[in-house]
Amino acid sequence: MNNHLTWVYIAIVAGIASMAVALYLYFWVLKQDPGTERAQEVASWIKEGSNAYLLKLYRSLGILALIIGVIIAVVFGVQPETAESGAVTMIWREGLIMAIAFVGGAVCSGIAGFLGMRVAVEANVRTATAANFSLSKAFKLSFNAGAVLGLAMVGMAVIGMSLLYLWTGSAEAVLGFSFGASTLALLAKAGGGIYTKTADIAADLVGKVEVGIPEDDPRNPAVVADNVGDNVGDVAGMGADIFDSYVASTVAVMLLGASMGLSQADHMKYTVVPLVLCLLGIFASLIGIFLVRVKEGQKPGPALNRGTIITTILFTLFLFVFVCFTDVNPGVFWAALTGLITGVIIGFTSDYFTNDEQKPVKETSRVSTSGSAINIITGYSYGLISIVPSVIGIAAATLISFHVAEHFGMSGIYGIGISAVGMLSISGMIVSADAYGPIVDNARGIAEMAGMDHEVIVRADELDSAGNTAKAITKGFSISAAALTVIALFAAYAEVVEAAGVDLAISLREPLVVAGVFLGAMTPPLFSALTMLSVTHNAFDMIEEVRRQFREEPGILAGTHKPDYARCVSLAAEGALSSLILPAFLAVGLPLLVGFVLGPDALGGFLGGAIFTGVIFALLMSNAGGLWDNAKKYIETGKFGGPGSEAHKAAVVGDTVGDPFKDTAGPSLNTLITVMSLVSSLFAPIIALFHLIK
Amino acid sequence: MAIHLYLSLMPEALIASMLSPEEFGTYYAVGSAKKSRGQAMFFEVDPNYRHPYFRTDEAYARCVPHEDGSLKSSVYISVYRVLEHVNLDALIRLYLTTMDGRTLELTPDDNIPNGTGQLHLYQELAPVTPLVVSRLGPTQFLDQIVRNPVSLVTVPSIVFTELQLGELAEDPEMGLIDHLPYTNHDHLRQCLTDVKTKFVSTKMVDRTHSPNVQYRTIKNGFFVGNIEQLRYFPMPTPEEIRKDNYRWFRSANM
Repeated sequence: MNNHLTWVYIAIVAGIASMAVALYLYFWVLKQDPGTERAQEVASWIKEGSNAYLLKLYRSLGILALIIGVIIAVVFGVQPETAESGAVTMIWREGLIMAIAFVGGAVCSGIAGFLGMRVAVEANVRTATAANFSLSKAFKLSFNAGAVLGLAMVGMAVIGMSLLYLWTGSAEAVLGFSFGASTLALLAKAGGGIYTKTADIAADLVGKVEVGIPEDDPRNPAVVADNVGDNVGDVAGMGADIFDSYVASTVAVMLLGASMGLSQADHMKYTVVPLVLCLLGIFASLIGIFLVRVKEGQKPGPALNRGTIITTILFTLFLFVFVCFTDVNPGVFWAALTGLITGVIIGFTSDYFTNDEQKPVKETSRVSTSGSAINIITGYSYGLISIVPSVIGIAAATLISFHVAEHFGMSGIYGIGISAVGMLSISGMIVSADAYGPIVDNARGIAEMAGMDHEVIVRADELDSAGNTAKAITKGFSISAAALTVIALFAAYAEVVEAAGVDLAISLREPLVVAGVFLGAMTPPLFSALTMLSVTHNAFDMIEEVRRQFREEPGILAGTHKPDYARCVSLAAEGALSSLILPAFLAVGLPLLVGFVLGPDALGGFLGGAIFTGVIFALLMSNAGGLWDNAKKYIETGKFGGPGSEAHKAAVVGDTVGDPFKDTAGPSLNTLITVMSLVSSLFAPIIALFHLIK
Repeated sequence: MAIHLYLSLMPEALIASMLSPEEFGTYYAVGSAKKSRGQAMFFEVDPNYRHPYFRTDEAYARCVPHEDGSLKSSVYISVYRVLEHVNLDALIRLYLTTMDGRTLELTPDDNIPNGTGQLHLYQELAPVTPLVVSRLGPTQFLDQIVRNPVSLVTVPSIVFTELQLGELAEDPEMGLIDHLPYTNHDHLRQCLTDVKTKFVSTKMVDRTHSPNVQYRTIKNGFFVGNIEQLRYFPMPTPEEIRKDNYRWFRSANM
């Protein structure tokens, strides 16, 4: 690996290849049969709602990105000489580069999310139409559509990071890119999560519970908002979330590579290594994606899992060849392999707690016969237990990758970072499988609303079931990846602070550090509470609106009058976006406040506290929410009294509690801790010089 | 414009209407501007059926379109002791409407299930609505209610349906009960054990049971009988309903 820049060019080629395949699949999806007029009409409601939300989201983000960009340009353009003298040097180029990197990160993430959403709202109706003919055709269409997001996401990320590195030659600039991506991810994920659960809860509580109409019934005024929510939460939101972790883990390792005590050539080599892992992951994902196929009569779930396993094996093979034929330390291979295996294992163990063939879901369903309180206690307890395997996995990956790296003479912390990059290197495949879920979910909704044959619904149900499993695996995967990423970012923060000439002393014997730890530990629960309260507040408004429509227009239930879908879509969008101000402040403002007031040691403690409670809460909420959801679905198959029984009523309560757990607060916490780590690393040199308590 | 005659079971009423059975079901279940709503079950009665107890022709005369041209939804002919005054041969079809207004049509069948040697759970729907368990099959159960000369409690006509008991039908003491959607499992098990082991053949489980029925719990169909005859309206299997009437299948949580 003598000419490291060659690998950066190859990374750009890989990114372009990934984007080209994504665009090819996008246009291939558009060429498929969009179905009957009625199906297209229903799909157009979802498309219009999704576009309207994205427009509002991106407009708000554009303004925010501009404001933060200007702040970054000024802050990073004004370079203090020392804190004592107060003298400053104006280096506007530095500030501008950082601002452009920030905006670039947000734009690249936005483009990938936009493309993913566009294809999702086109693919849903086409999948429903294809299900008229065969399961395999519908599966191919929906999975290819999901692959558009997966490949666009990794493609845009690698192109953006590589170009920026080529232009500036600095890993710090890529940190700005990552901060931009994370800011967008936080708003997209939390906003999407609030949107989707607002609509879901209102549609369920009024439509299903009060009025008694089935799911996805076109008479429900909130049904379109519910389907739009699947796209904004699970396609745009999840895409932005993994984009953020993918970039953040890469940049953390680039920063660590740049700061390792090595020769100039080795600095550059180990800065570029994470980009090489990304490009190898892209090629593995490209092959893996094209091998995911279902023959008639086969189940889609195993095909998705097979794709993940093949991609993992291919990536391992590519990495092995890369390490064998270059002078890169073999520790890179073993650390990446550790992360990769851990990611896959954690993903599948998360599935244990949410799979209706396993004890946790069956037990929670059984105790639902004794009421909603027992259902909630049991589900919550299993959610707490579900933390154990993931935490052990993260701890094992941390220790193994650290010691493996040290064994081969590398920095242990660099090894931890590489394990995070290894885990996320197959994101192209993982996100493709994840984005497939909401597409088939929407397809099922469209089939219901458009009154398609019951065979179509049966096939859509089968596709949907595989999507739910993929979603559970991705959640476990993304939380674990975020955990390893922030450990690497934490180390990067320490490097940046020490590079500014300040000795970092993060010890629990220091009161400032202890204060920081407590403040940090408080942040994820507080963030969760704020986002969940937003859901309940907005859902309350939408419930009133749905009730009003049913009350004032009896023709809606009789099927003679079309509900005002647009009103519910608009309520959900406005509610979600206006609810983001406080959570956004927590993510960006609080670390800066702690840093500038209490200093870098306290900020280090703050990050540590936030990382630990963030990971714990993210795992608990995602898994408990998924468990409650599947316990309800298990009862709906006729077990323990089936739909309408007392057990079912209790399980519906549990599922409603779990909805904002698993789709709003839980998945947003990964992004929260990443944003807090990034903002701390980015502003670390300034905080190191200027803070109130010395 | 044709006028239909409907015998509603909840409440027991004879109604003239210009709406088709499906439209009537939707109207009856999801309400009108009056905001009344809920599950509905009704028979379509031969429109030419007359009985001196009912002022049917007078009601027909009132059953005309509204001034705006919309059809007259309902003219109540009677809401008291209706069933006993209807000849069961005049009952053409039975309609089951879900809470959100989807309607399933059931046609009569002569093959009345025997059901001997098992325990049964009957939900009476009209004129009274208790939930009872019995070791008698549907025909014997009807006999006991309408023809039993020694019983102090009889009714002239009755509509009832048999609900699923699963393993309890054979083994009330040990049979699995978890998958049954009924409340107070222990009491149900005890009542079934009593009718199996004691002298009584029928025992009331719940004297004020809601006449709303979870359609998926229906074992075989609906029975309507009086001293002269018993008529049976079988329920299609869930698979048949899913295939032929998917909307109703979903709406009824089958």
